[in-house]
Amino acid sequence: MERRPPVQTILVYAAAAVLALAILAPFAWLVVMSISSASDLSSLPLHWLPQTLDFSRYVKLLTVAQHSAGEAFLSSLRNSLEVSGMAVLGALVVGIPAAWAVSRHRQVGWSIYLAIGSYMLPAVALSVPLYKGLHALGLLNNVFGLAGVYLSILAPFTAWLLKSGFDGVPREIESAAMIDGARLDQILRRLTLPLAAPAVTTAALFALMVGWDEFFYALLFTSDERAKTLTVAVADLAGGRITDYGLIATAGVLAALPPVIIGMVLQRALVAGLTQGGVKG
Amino acid sequence: MSDLVISGLRKAYRRTDTLKGIDLELKHGEFLVLLGPSGCGKSTLLNCIAGLLQPTAGDIRIGGRSVVGVHPKDRDISMVFQSYALYPNLDVERNIGFGLEMRRVPKAERQAAVARVAETLQITPLLKRRPAELSGGQRQRVAIGRALVRNPAIFLFDEPLSNLDAKLRAEMRVELKRLHDLLGATIVYVTHDQIEAMTLATRIAVMRDGRIEQLADPETIYRNPANLYVAGFVGSPAMNILPATLAVEGTRTVARLEDGEVAVALDESAAQSAGLSVALGVRPESIRLAVPGEPFAISAKVELVELTGPEKIVLARLGRQGITARLDPNSRVTSGEVRQFVLDPAAVRLFDPATGKALVHAS
Repeated sequence: MERRPPVQTILVYAAAAVLALAILAPFAWLVVMSISSASDLSSLPLHWLPQTLDFSRYVKLLTVAQHSAGEAFLSSLRNSLEVSGMAVLGALVVGIPAAWAVSRHRQVGWSIYLAIGSYMLPAVALSVPLYKGLHALGLLNNVFGLAGVYLSILAPFTAWLLKSGFDGVPREIESAAMIDGARLDQILRRLTLPLAAPAVTTAALFALMVGWDEFFYALLFTSDERAKTLTVAVADLAGGRITDYGLIATAGVLAALPPVIIGMVLQRALVAGLTQGGVKG
Repeated sequence: MSDLVISGLRKAYRRTDTLKGIDLELKHGEFLVLLGPSGCGKSTLLNCIAGLLQPTAGDIRIGGRSVVGVHPKDRDISMVFQSYALYPNLDVERNIGFGLEMRRVPKAERQAAVARVAETLQITPLLKRRPAELSGGQRQRVAIGRALVRNPAIFLFDEPLSNLDAKLRAEMRVELKRLHDLLGATIVYVTHDQIEAMTLATRIAVMRDGRIEQLADPETIYRNPANLYVAGFVGSPAMNILPATLAVEGTRTVARLEDGEVAVALDESAAQSAGLSVALGVRPESIRLAVPGEPFAISAKVELVELTGPEKIVLARLGRQGITARLDPNSRVTSGEVRQFVLDPAAVRLFDPATGKALVHAS
């Protein structure tokens, strides 16, 4: 291997450190805020490191009592999981066949660009028609209604990501399986999807993040704990007269955990998918 | 009964016709090679037989049954792809057994069949490996094994050796020949490699531009090409094509080459009307150095001598025309000198210069 001069090595590490710091510092500060006492957070000059560790907010948000912050938080957590989960699942169910069709039949290729085109419309432009639509269907303030809206956001780019994954699976493999007697669903299940696993994982993860972080539609289309999602619930915490920054930070940390955990699990699948490939002839 | 009958097969993509009417018939145990340059339609024809493409018109019958519109899996065929198209996520055993698995063959039976095929192809130690862990030649064997295991009516091969290096290709060629002799299978094989075609085929279909130019056994293709295209495509170095005019000298028919310098003796069966202009074809190996004083010798200026090992390839100039001769490696020829050459009268072929069609078929 080529040897780098030490100065260059130092510079590379320094650059990496700066990048890591820029990415991690906000989250680190969020964690620090969540375990600092209120006095530490309001003192001047600011105590960057807490004098005393205060976990009371975690207790507060994670205990269920009637009309408590904990109840609101946990119900929003559940709603977020339900809405994002359904939307991601739906996006894959819709996206996989769509992406496969577009990848294998170039004559329908234009349709995916049309779908992506619709994705370029600003959310505001669609909010009124969506609101009226949901209202007419009785799906306002409803996790299914919100999941449906998210599906419309997620499906186009999920299909797009999946298409590039399917493009990487040689057609001859599918032809061979066809001659071997596999039905289309068997080909997809046993060959194409496993071979495109990295793309499927990426698409699912991306869709989950977008759904989980979505705020605008959630704010418009939900009104109470029956459908309110985390992003709206966290915003609610900031909406009161007295704002407890520590509490918001705690909610932020807790809200970040599920996607991080899911992401780590999927990351494993992703790496596994990458190493087992060997499609190259 | 014929295993495969193709009649009036056409395939059009938008405005271009890829296949322009293909007719052929294949008996059981035949090894048919579709030979042609890229874009001649040979792969399209193979894919139509496989059912991966739908023909625009015409009929394909496999085992007496029309398969137009029939799904590939129900055509009683198997196919070996150029890229092998192995399933990368399955081990060799499951790759070979996939077709049986999909057809719900019981596990024990399946394993026995896979073991048998692995034995034939000598890949038994590889059964638990993934395709990524195999060499090119091993992958090729697995791909062939996958085709063998179902014992179909027809095997289709799409340039199966083109991804292998020269040495391995020669080995696999012998292997395929051996398998064909062993199994007596009916095979349709696509290639652009004429050595593969000549060595493997029982019959060759030379294709150009969506048509079959000639369909015959390798020897006939080589010795009696049906037209100038086949004559030029098969054989390396290519057949010499020289413009000539027929004339009668005494009891013999001769061909005068256009520059008027010399004449060539022709087989007596080639009694042609005098004055007819023809394209005269002669293979490089049918040209030899003349003995001094030999009649019908032509003189040509040697421009290049290449010793390939078993032979000496001589490029010489005959008037405006270049000719290639394949001589004994011990021949004393140096570039720059003018030498006398003789064409083997029995090996000379005549073509109509306008249509390109062969005029004489010495049998």
